[in-house]
Amino acid sequence: MKEIVKITFALTLSCVIAASAMGLTFTVTAKAKKHNHLMSVQNAMMDLLGFGEDHPAPSDLTFHNVYRYIVKDGGKKFLGYMVPVEKAGKEVYEMVMIDLEGKFVEKLEVPISEGQAEEAHDRASALEKVLPPNQFFTYADASAVATAGGERLGYVLPGKFPGFRTFIHVLVAMDPQFELLGLEIMEHEEDAGLGAEIEQEYFKNQFKRKSFEILKGLEVVKKPMPQEYKKYLEKSKWVEGMFTEEQISEIRKQYKASDIHAITAATISSKAVTDGVKNIAKKFAYRIGKLDGVLEEQDIHAAF
Amino acid sequence: MSTTMKSNTQLFMDGILKENPIFKLALSMCPAVGISTSVMNGILLGTAVLFVQVFSSCTISLIRNYIHPKIRIPTYTLTIATWVTVIDLVLAAYVPAAYKAMGMFVRLIVAFAIITMRLEMFACREPLGKSFWDGLGMGLGFMFAMIVLGAVRELLGSGMLLGYDVLGFKPLLFFVLPSAGFFVVGLMMAFFNWIEVAYNRKKGV
Repeated sequence: MKEIVKITFALTLSCVIAASAMGLTFTVTAKAKKHNHLMSVQNAMMDLLGFGEDHPAPSDLTFHNVYRYIVKDGGKKFLGYMVPVEKAGKEVYEMVMIDLEGKFVEKLEVPISEGQAEEAHDRASALEKVLPPNQFFTYADASAVATAGGERLGYVLPGKFPGFRTFIHVLVAMDPQFELLGLEIMEHEEDAGLGAEIEQEYFKNQFKRKSFEILKGLEVVKKPMPQEYKKYLEKSKWVEGMFTEEQISEIRKQYKASDIHAITAATISSKAVTDGVKNIAKKFAYRIGKLDGVLEEQDIHAAF
Repeated sequence: MSTTMKSNTQLFMDGILKENPIFKLALSMCPAVGISTSVMNGILLGTAVLFVQVFSSCTISLIRNYIHPKIRIPTYTLTIATWVTVIDLVLAAYVPAAYKAMGMFVRLIVAFAIITMRLEMFACREPLGKSFWDGLGMGLGFMFAMIVLGAVRELLGSGMLLGYDVLGFKPLLFFVLPSAGFFVVGLMMAFFNWIEVAYNRKKGV
């Protein structure tokens, strides 16, 4: 009997010590970790929109985050968009509720600043204060609208979909006409040398500049990629004088409407990314269309 | 109260060559077969395992007199899990570039046999100094084995080394698949045994 007590005590003590060590490390590193994550996402967003060292972003470039929630009221479901709105020179958030057909239901002011709104926890508590107690809300996703000089530059959308192994997390950038500006693979667990090739330029860059109409019907083909197209896609490996301006526009025109060439021995991963990007683009275009309609109809001055 | 007669340098070198965890002790075959698909993977995973092995060996060696004999394995597992979590968090916070590449692998280390085995066979009996050198040797031996395996599989499977296109074509994509991992590990084991036999013969042993 005494043995069991001793063992239980020793185990509990070890667990407590291990937990404290891990907890301590977590509290010390949590802030830095979050900051790094945000920086990498920010850099990816700037890169996707086409800004970099040789093409600096305009100084007044701002990203406005729109948060989408699903609100349940009894048996009815609404879409709640937390939209940054300009009111008397300040930016506040308003919850614009739209029903599933796209008709305006109501709007509520949410007492939260843009910085605070980036924290899911702060958003949830602010929403709890404003929404009536019989309404339950669940977070759906966030999108970023990039503006500069009072005009919309584009949209940056995070997305997640199942790949060959587990989920693939991406960042998709579209211009105001929903033409695809770029695709960045943020996280994945695909096999090295096979599915992991989705990170390579020769796959990712195929999606660049696909117009919305072409994107909607995009398929994956198991044909080998022409060498010239591959060289054009691997932009980081370009050398001086490799392509003339004419050749670039020729190649662009030739492949603008072509389907996505699958990665050798990784068709499932290629298909997963293509379908995932298609869905993200189509859903967003539909939703932002409805939201813009409601914002205009109700004369809500969104910050974008 | 040290039971081993080996010197620190001998412990260190044995971990890399004579008692190499993958080629000689046949421990931690899971990563050897599954993750050794490229040299970079080998370097990253090897470094992570090295840190976890050294820290865990030292920790267990320090508390070896206080571990209740009946809960040895849970204690080892707790130690390894704590160190893996600490390293994971520290990397994510202070070395984001490395974390992006290694993050996926670091969490797997908790399940590796080599670390638990080394703690059970060595660290729980030997003083701190010897445990440190043994852990260092084993960790480096693991990294060395992973790099060699990764080089063979990456070169033959995708014609690249460290991401650089060396061959310009992919000889046999099969080498990147897990089944090839078994073949390559087995062949490398035979190859290293053969080298050892030839070396001993030359030395007249």
